[in-house]
Parts: sequence; C-alpha cells; structure tokens
Amino acid sequence: MSLAEDIFNEPPLVKIRGLRFRRGSRWIFDGLDVDIPRGSVTAIMGPSGTGKTTLLKLIGGQLRPDEGTIEVDGENVHALSTHDLYRLRMRMGMLFQSGALLTDISVFENVAFPLREHTRLTESMIRKLVLLKLEAVGLRGARDLMPSELSGGMARRVALARAIALDPMMIMYDEPFTGQDPISMGVLVQLIRRLNDAARITSVVVSHDVGETLEIADLVYVISDGRVVESGTPAKLTESGGEWTRQFIHGLADGPVPFHYPAPVLEEDILEAAR
Amino acid sequence: MISLLAQLGDWGIHGLVRLGRAHLLLLPLLRGLLDILRRPRLLLDQVYSVGVLTILIIGVAGLFVGMVLGLQGYYILSRFGGETALGLMVAASLVRELGPVLTALLFAGRAGSALTAEIGLMKATEQLSGLEMMAVNPEYRVLAPRFFAGLLSVPLLAAMFSCLGVLGGWMVGGGMLGVDQGAFWNGMQNGIDFREDIINGVIKSVVFGFVCTWIAIFQGYDCVPTSEGVSRATTRTVVHSSLAVLGLDFVLTALMFS
Repeated sequence: MSLAEDIFNEPPLVKIRGLRFRRGSRWIFDGLDVDIPRGSVTAIMGPSGTGKTTLLKLIGGQLRPDEGTIEVDGENVHALSTHDLYRLRMRMGMLFQSGALLTDISVFENVAFPLREHTRLTESMIRKLVLLKLEAVGLRGARDLMPSELSGGMARRVALARAIALDPMMIMYDEPFTGQDPISMGVLVQLIRRLNDAARITSVVVSHDVGETLEIADLVYVISDGRVVESGTPAKLTESGGEWTRQFIHGLADGPVPFHYPAPVLEEDILEAAR
Repeated sequence: MISLLAQLGDWGIHGLVRLGRAHLLLLPLLRGLLDILRRPRLLLDQVYSVGVLTILIIGVAGLFVGMVLGLQGYYILSRFGGETALGLMVAASLVRELGPVLTALLFAGRAGSALTAEIGLMKATEQLSGLEMMAVNPEYRVLAPRFFAGLLSVPLLAAMFSCLGVLGGWMVGGGMLGVDQGAFWNGMQNGIDFREDIINGVIKSVVFGFVCTWIAIFQGYDCVPTSEGVSRATTRTVVHSSLAVLGLDFVLTALMFS
C-alpha cells in the first residue's frame, strides 16, 4: 500500500504509473510513480528544470507521455477522446505561473469566462457567482480593473478565482509563490489551504519554495532526475537523512546537485586559454 | 560541401513540416465556423479589430493611388488624345489589380502583423494553454473568429479601396485636369464588365484574404513563445503574405484574363 493510501483510505484522485517523457534526447521523467490523494494538498518539489510544470501539463492532457499512464478520477487521461478530455478538464482547474488571464477583458469577465463558456446560467446568476468567487480571493472590489492594472499577486488571485469558477474537483498550482512579496505569498498560502479545506478540493502544488510549500502540504514528493527521490509528510522530509532531500530542503549550495556545472579541470582550461 | 547540403536538406524538411502543420490548422479553423454561427458576436468583435480598424489606411491609400493613377493616366493618354478613356483606365487598374493586391499588402502589414503578434503573445503568456485547461478549444474560440473576420474583411476593404481610388482619379482627372466628366464616367460604365472585371477582382481579394489571414494566424500560433520568437513570426507574416499575394496575383491573372 502506497504512502498516499496510508494517509487517506480511499483511491487516489491522480494515479501516475511508470511515466516516461522526453524532450529531444533528454528524459524528463524516467519511470515516475505518484499518487495524489483526494482532498489533500500534495506538493511536487524539485529544483528548476526537473519538469514540475511538464508534469502538470501531462496530468492535464496538454502533453502526451512516451510511456506509462496517468489516471485522474479513474479515467486514463491520454486514452480519452478530445471531447471526453475537455469534459474532464472542466473538473480540473489550473493556476498558471503567469496567471494566464485574458488581457483584453476585465477581472469580472475573466472570472465569468468559464461560466459563460460552459453553462447556460442567467446573467444575474453569473454576476452573483463571479462576485462570490472574487470575494473568496479578496478581490471583489477589483472586478472592474483590467489585468494590466493588477499586481502579480492580485493577478494570481484572480486566476485562482477563475480556476474555481466551475467548482472543480482539483486545482493544479504551477509555482504559485514565485516572484511574490511576503504579504502576497502569505495570502496565497492561506488561500490554497483554505480553499482546499472549505471545498474539499484536491490541490497539487508544484513549487520550489520550500518553506511556504511545506507549511500547507499534507504530502510532498521530491523529484530529481525524472524519478521520485523521496516522499512523505513535510515533517518526515524535514528530518530526512537522504542526502538529496537534505540539500534541497535546507538549500545547501553543494551536494548531490553540484555547485559546479560539469567542466574540464580548471588548470587545464586556463592553460588551454594561455596556449 | 556535405554540411551545406545537409543544411539545405534540414531547411527543406523543416519547411515541409511547417507547411504540413499550417495545412492541418485549416481543419479546426474551418470547423470553428460552427461555433461562430452559434455565437456571431465572436466574429463581429474580430471584424471590428481586423477590418474596421484597417479602414483608415485603406481609405487614404486608395485615394492617393487613384489620384496618382489619374495624373499618370492623363499624361500618357493625352499624348494620344485619349483623355476620355481616363475613367476606364483608372477603374480597370483598380478593380482588376491594384485594389485587391494593394489592399492585401496593406492588410498583411496592418492587421496580419497585429494578428500574429496578438496570438503569439497569447501563447507566450500562457493564455492559450489557460483556455485549453478551461476546456475551451483556442482553435475554435480564438483562431477561427479571427480567420473568418480576415476572410470577410479583405474583399470589403478591397471594394472600399477601389471606390476611393476611382474617386481620387476623378478628383484629379475631372476636377484638376479638366477631363470631361461625362466621358470619364461613361467610359468607365461602358468599359468595365461586371463578371470579367468586378467578380474576378472580388475572387482575387477573397483568395488574398484567405491566404494573408491564414499565414498570420499560423505564424502566431506556431511561433516560439518568446519575445524574439513573436518578433520573428510577425516579420515572417508580412514577408510571406506579401510574396504569396504577388505570386498568386500572377497565377490568378493568368487564369482569369488569358
């Protein structure tokens, strides 16, 4: 029985088995196994370039794996027809690193967008729902602003309101804390946890901000070289004796991930230049 | 030598792959018509930004081209005492050639480049990915309305260009140079054939509108999502569209008027 099933005694919402994916000749994932329990905040952590965002795109069906399977709520994402994939995506929300708000329409219209596209609700019902979603992220008063008038943190909160507009079963957060000031970061940390608990949404947070992520996560997967290096609760990982996890969690400059990019011996390089 | 050949082969293969992708994009663009029929508002918004905002440059260019045609035509025709054919010459030049071709070139520069930049930036800022994750197909929702807006706008803009060009020719010929106004309009009315000249001109502008908008949309959608990638794609849109219009104009003219 996997660790995730230890924590929640029901089948995981997302089940990844034997995932292999490459870009060019480089394998980004080479036999990745991950379970994301229902109703949990699961963090996927690892240094830049380990393919964390790629993993979210694979879960959302925007990329196709070379091998392995990804099941979301029992459905094999990459075996679905386009119609069924879009139907599944209506139950998934995604918060992009940039917010990905539509820049030519207002905050209100951005949040109303999925409702207008996928429901036949009346205009007054849409207005009520949008205001409620904006209230949940604290930006009801910013409804008439354009995306260009928002700060980075506000844009992400609007994007979060848009992501929950259709009451999804899960939300994937792509580096939600990157580039945020401490206040915005604190707000986002609280929002992710609060939304998760209030609506029992399953949250997948991809991040390399250790402190903030460990603060809200129920389960953490640390990824390196295309595989899960370690997984467990934040407390377990903080105390981990694993060399790799220790370097990542404590931000050590040298370790299994070397400080120096691979290069010839320094003396040889210098003498070569002198010749 | 071998590496040069390999490089040429690489370019050729990449070119063919891109051409294939461009053709594959046509299918969802055409299928997007169903969405547009359900929600015509999507098309109207794009007709405004692609077509209506291009009217100024088309109108001014059409007027000046017509005025130049009036001047040049008068100088040449007056050598043979044929000033009365000025109206026919101006109208035929505009309706058959200059209207569709110059409109398409100006459209590629004004609206085509804007389309590529807009779609490219939407890709670079993950707006298109965002739509996909909201279960909204960007090919139907974003690309198709822009495609049909371009297809609809170019013939209308070309008609506007030709009308204002004729007006410019008349202002110079009839107003400034004293060509007989009755002869100017009568010659035009008798000499211009509806099917041979006007319909063929419309067909040309529909083809040019299709090609220019298709190129602009494909370049934006297929660009490398970086600032440099968007900039290169925008340049490619103008260059490829201009060359395609000039090349196709020759082919269409040969087919229509031979």
